[in-house]
Amino acid sequence: MLKLFTKSDYLLRETFLGLKRGGWMNWAAISTVTVLLFLFGISLQASWQLEGLLNQFGSQLEISVFLKSGVQAATLEPMLQQMPNVTDVSSIPKEVAWENLVKDMGIADIRGATEQLNGNPLVDEMKVKASGSDHVVALAQQIGQMQGVDEVLYVDEAVRRIAQLNRGLSWVSLWVVSILTLTAIAVITTTIRLIVMARRREIEVMQLVGATAAWIYLPFIFQGIAFGIVGALVSWGMIVGLQEFVGSLLAEQADFIQFVAQGLSLGADKALLLPLALLALGSSVGLMGSLLAVRRFALR
Amino acid sequence: MTSLSDRPPVITTPRPSASQAASPTARRRTAQAIVKLQRVNKTYANGAIALKDVNLSINRGDFLFITGPSGAGKSTLLKLLYGAERPTSGNVMVHDHNLAQLRGDRLSLLRRRIGVVFQDYKLIPRRTVSENIAFVLWAQGCSRKEIHRRLLPTLRLVGLQDKGDCFPDELSGGEQQRVSIARAIIGTPPVLLADEPTGNLDFDNSWQVIKILKKLNDMGVTIIITTHDEHLVRMSNHPVVQIRNGHLITVV
Repeated sequence: MLKLFTKSDYLLRETFLGLKRGGWMNWAAISTVTVLLFLFGISLQASWQLEGLLNQFGSQLEISVFLKSGVQAATLEPMLQQMPNVTDVSSIPKEVAWENLVKDMGIADIRGATEQLNGNPLVDEMKVKASGSDHVVALAQQIGQMQGVDEVLYVDEAVRRIAQLNRGLSWVSLWVVSILTLTAIAVITTTIRLIVMARRREIEVMQLVGATAAWIYLPFIFQGIAFGIVGALVSWGMIVGLQEFVGSLLAEQADFIQFVAQGLSLGADKALLLPLALLALGSSVGLMGSLLAVRRFALR
Repeated sequence: MTSLSDRPPVITTPRPSASQAASPTARRRTAQAIVKLQRVNKTYANGAIALKDVNLSINRGDFLFITGPSGAGKSTLLKLLYGAERPTSGNVMVHDHNLAQLRGDRLSLLRRRIGVVFQDYKLIPRRTVSENIAFVLWAQGCSRKEIHRRLLPTLRLVGLQDKGDCFPDELSGGEQQRVSIARAIIGTPPVLLADEPTGNLDFDNSWQVIKILKKLNDMGVTIIITTHDEHLVRMSNHPVVQIRNGHLITVV
């Protein structure tokens, strides 16, 4: 325990010393990581927001099939299951649907409401899940022509466009983030390598007096991780600041825009996940960069 | 000085029974070899031959001078002993480990039991004398308390107890070399290698360095020192081997 403390004491001291000596190179490394993580964070958030928006419209792959009154879901289920491009079929009996509807409307007395309407006015409903969004339209048409099917509903074109947009955005951000990740790793590698070069004499002496490779190079690796963590904190601060700014702008806008903005706001879990994702990506980029930097020296 | 080049260059250091029987170091000496070179050849990548079929055995507690003109292979011999170079063929045994095969962390651990002093001191300019010396113990993962405990006696041993907070460039060459000796011995290694430790020093400073090394030898440290300063060698009255063109030659 004491030994561990002694060791971490030394390693942290050396890491800090290295950062102090890095000077402007630290700035280069941290700012690159910050830009990367800022873009990563923004695009991650945007995709979460779009996803949330889409979820409000229901699943894009689901087709709701309403049956003619008197037709039982069980008779159609095997046929639907055998159709191509269908991954899942579930049925909602009209009794269950009615119960839910009554509950949603806040009526306590189900029986009274049923009697008032001369029985359950709903029909059996089935949910059919398509294997991909391309198949939804064709599948819906096919099902609509089946006997006993009254009506077929599925999420319309506009929502599918949003979904496509989301996917497109994800691809673009994936590419941008990948390229920037490589850039950040390259900058960190160069920075750490320069620091290693500047301290070559010290490293040589350390090697001669019997320091193990891990002992010599861990401070440099910590330094790389520190770049990533600082970049993550700065970029998170920037994203939060941006959110605050946009929020204050929206507060002065019309009610409708505020309503939409509310739909875009993220839950507490996502709000926590964002800084964690930034920290994770930041520190792994830092780790990769510094490992690459010292690998060549350490392997000698 | 007697050259024994007519004999095959199979050299062992003079036995205690021979010329050194009366000296105090000889009495403590056991027959156990702490450093041993067996049929060692070293050819550098550019084809330069540094050592040819060198055999050498150094016992615990020995004080051995290695002399020879520059470029003869003295530094190469020491580099083989602390693992900075590998022999092209043959065995280099230190503390019963074969340095020809030792790599990575096991080499690092062995180096903790070998102190090295360099002609150019190899001090870190941005650290104080104390830090330069304590550096060894940091590198080995010692606690602050342990470092503190060892630092002052070591500084005192080399006569630098008042210079702990100076930076290397504030010291004279002799003082810097003593710092480098302190750094080499603070880890209490049983073997001390000194590669031309007096090369950059005037005679008084050189003699001071030799006196410190003698003191360490009296404490039981095995000392191997290279030099081309014949005067110093003659004054200090210790066994000498000579390297000429990569061959080892005993000189009495």
